[in-house]
Amino acid sequence: MKPGRHKVQSMIRTFKLYGTLIGFLAIIIFFAIQLPDTFLSARNLINISQQISMLAVVAFSMTLVMVMNDFDLSVGSMASLAGVVAAVLFSMGYPIYIGIGAALLVGVLGGLFNGILVSFFGILPFVATLGTLTMFSGMAFLTSGGKTIFGRDIPSAFSGFARSGIQLETFGFAGLKIPYLTLVAVSVLAIIWFVLEQTVFGRRLYAIGGNYEAARLAGLKVKTLRLTAFVLTGLGAAVGGLMYASRVASANPTQGSGLMLDAIAAVFLGMTMSEEGEPRVIYTLVGVLILGILDNGLTQMSVDSYVREILVGAIVISAVAFSSLSKQVR
Amino acid sequence: MHGLSIRNVSKSFAGAKALSSVDLDLIPGEVHALMGENGAGKSTLIKILAGVQSADSLEVLKDGKPITLATSADAHNAGFRFIHQELNIVPHLSVAENISLGIPYPLKFGIAIDWRALENRATDALARLGVDHINVRQKAAQLSTGDRMLTKIASSLVSSGDDSAEFYVLDEPTASLSGDESEKLFQVIAELKKSGMAILYVSHRMNEVMSICDRVSVLRDGEKVFTAPIADTNRDDIIFAMTGRTIGEAYPARAKPHGTQIACAAKAASTAHVKELNFELRSGEILGIAGLANAGQSEILRAIMGLTPIISGRLDVLGKLAPTSPTQAWRRKISYVPRERRSEGLMLQRNVRDNVVLPHLDVISHLKIFANQQAEIAKTQELSDAVRLKSDSQKQPVYQLSGGNQQKVVFARAIGANPSLLLLDEPTRGVDIGAKFDIYKLVRQLSEDGCAIILTSSDLPEILGMCDRILILQDGTQSDIISAKDLKPAQLLAQFYETRAA
Repeated sequence: MKPGRHKVQSMIRTFKLYGTLIGFLAIIIFFAIQLPDTFLSARNLINISQQISMLAVVAFSMTLVMVMNDFDLSVGSMASLAGVVAAVLFSMGYPIYIGIGAALLVGVLGGLFNGILVSFFGILPFVATLGTLTMFSGMAFLTSGGKTIFGRDIPSAFSGFARSGIQLETFGFAGLKIPYLTLVAVSVLAIIWFVLEQTVFGRRLYAIGGNYEAARLAGLKVKTLRLTAFVLTGLGAAVGGLMYASRVASANPTQGSGLMLDAIAAVFLGMTMSEEGEPRVIYTLVGVLILGILDNGLTQMSVDSYVREILVGAIVISAVAFSSLSKQVR
Repeated sequence: MHGLSIRNVSKSFAGAKALSSVDLDLIPGEVHALMGENGAGKSTLIKILAGVQSADSLEVLKDGKPITLATSADAHNAGFRFIHQELNIVPHLSVAENISLGIPYPLKFGIAIDWRALENRATDALARLGVDHINVRQKAAQLSTGDRMLTKIASSLVSSGDDSAEFYVLDEPTASLSGDESEKLFQVIAELKKSGMAILYVSHRMNEVMSICDRVSVLRDGEKVFTAPIADTNRDDIIFAMTGRTIGEAYPARAKPHGTQIACAAKAASTAHVKELNFELRSGEILGIAGLANAGQSEILRAIMGLTPIISGRLDVLGKLAPTSPTQAWRRKISYVPRERRSEGLMLQRNVRDNVVLPHLDVISHLKIFANQQAEIAKTQELSDAVRLKSDSQKQPVYQLSGGNQQKVVFARAIGANPSLLLLDEPTRGVDIGAKFDIYKLVRQLSEDGCAIILTSSDLPEILGMCDRILILQDGTQSDIISAKDLKPAQLLAQFYETRAA
């Protein structure tokens, strides 16, 4: 009996569950020291929350399919398509609610298409959504004529949404406001948390991820459940795309393309925090925050954006590698 | 001493004896049958010979000299070749490539594959087995199961690059072969015998053993209880050796007669894999389904569960036509314990509670939408108590539980629906003795409460001890349905082989 062994194991266990969280805090402390005047200021924190809001919405809805061990690679091009559809309708003079409604409908239909391919045709999600990634992207180019739609074509009420928020003056923070985009992300977080953790539907998605065949034999309508999750992910991607279009007051057919990889990376980072490696939307939030804070801090330190990309990739890989190594030790 | 003498093999798993002091001799030019019921220790013995399972004690003498079998490389060097039921063949490579898979391909100019030499090598290997009907250029995917097995045997002849193969272990090779394919295999076995190989032949099929083997050994509960030259023994002796134990009080007796209401009725019902089912199951009755491996036992349960369609005839379940999906089946109070606990039953990474409440989530929810954790906890507690589950807490992931407790989780789920019909596919496979008894008690209790039960099992005493009647399957066809009362294991086993009256 070696007394040291148990200690080492419990340390590894602690690191396994909290390693990502510790890394997250370390990143915050690092930037707080490097950027003492700006980083932890209320203005910057609010700024970060707005910067990450689009990614957050897409990553939260990506969690819905990843709970079932599936993927949706098409969320980025769906976000672009949704933004373009809304903008084109605006430029044709349709009211804002028509543009937004149509963009959300496109998200639902795209998700439905993904869901049908995956659950009724039985195509691997990787292949199916790789195909629809290209299709949605092509549709976005077709719809916009390959151009960026901006300026007078975008109603000021639409782009104004991203620039406004709830004023905090009454709470003693003059000139500060909680951006509406942040509030949208928080609401989506709350909804998806509730759906996944507190509804029968969410629990069943986790069951499908736990063992698809067992879930089917236990009488779950696995095909319908899977289809529905893809529809919701498509809808989430469209919401993210609209937020993006509002924020930059324009829409072009490629503006959402960066979202997909970051969203998957955020879910993966989050998965390292759960006991049995399943995704949970709260942990996805931590993943999104890590990516967002790195982006914000490194930009302020004027680190080259290519170096930033290398760092982000390295952090995702090391977090996942660390988590899978400590699992083998168990 | 010529050949291989295996002495004193013992192995325990967590205190339970899987093998105790087993001896076995493999003699060149002889086919040695290894028989025994499931769980008798055959697989453990083969795994030990293959070097993939360590033994608690083991002595192996090859031509009188001691050797070790600690790793699979040891086993290979000792001359062992194993042909399993599941053939790991690469379907999109040619037969010739599959035969040379484990060794370097012949090369031209040191870099390019010499296809002609590769094909010749494969043709020669097959010829040594007396096989000339396989075109070595075709893809392995196009081969029948039997020809795949022959390819695998040919591959084992060349794979070492030398002629070191001396002992072949064939693990139920004919389980998935047709009659013709089996005949071809027997010819190949004869060729191997002629070239001086010793063959250990594991099979449940009495006819094969009587016709192609020279010697038979029988394992029962981890002990070798019988060994004799085939010429000096007969079918009845072997069956008695396999099943001769007395059935103690393991199986709780029926305290009251079962009901009369019909729970399930088949009239000439057929699916793609089972034909001409005819039976009526009454409430509270336990119907056993028995036969040789893969005779269609699971398929009947799957048909009742709505997993496989009825293509002709009629199957009524609980007063309506058979359900068309598992969702419908559960809703109609049909519960199912699938055959493969790990792949079909459990979410191994998830906890006890998630696993138990899985099919009942909407029943115990608020408005069928919102999960009701309090009720889930209470329900899980009630069901775990009913099946006498031993776990640290409801939050424990089920992969941490023993096989018996994992099976109890699946049972808890099944009885949670308050079923009127319970389908049990090999419910005690890989389950320890204690948990088995708990399960038997539970099944008897359910039956006396009026739940109709269909049970498949390859454990003959279990079927005899639990069931009221037994439906016998032969190759996917119902051959008979008999009362289990006063039936002996030997009589039941004989039913599996009985040629049907025309």
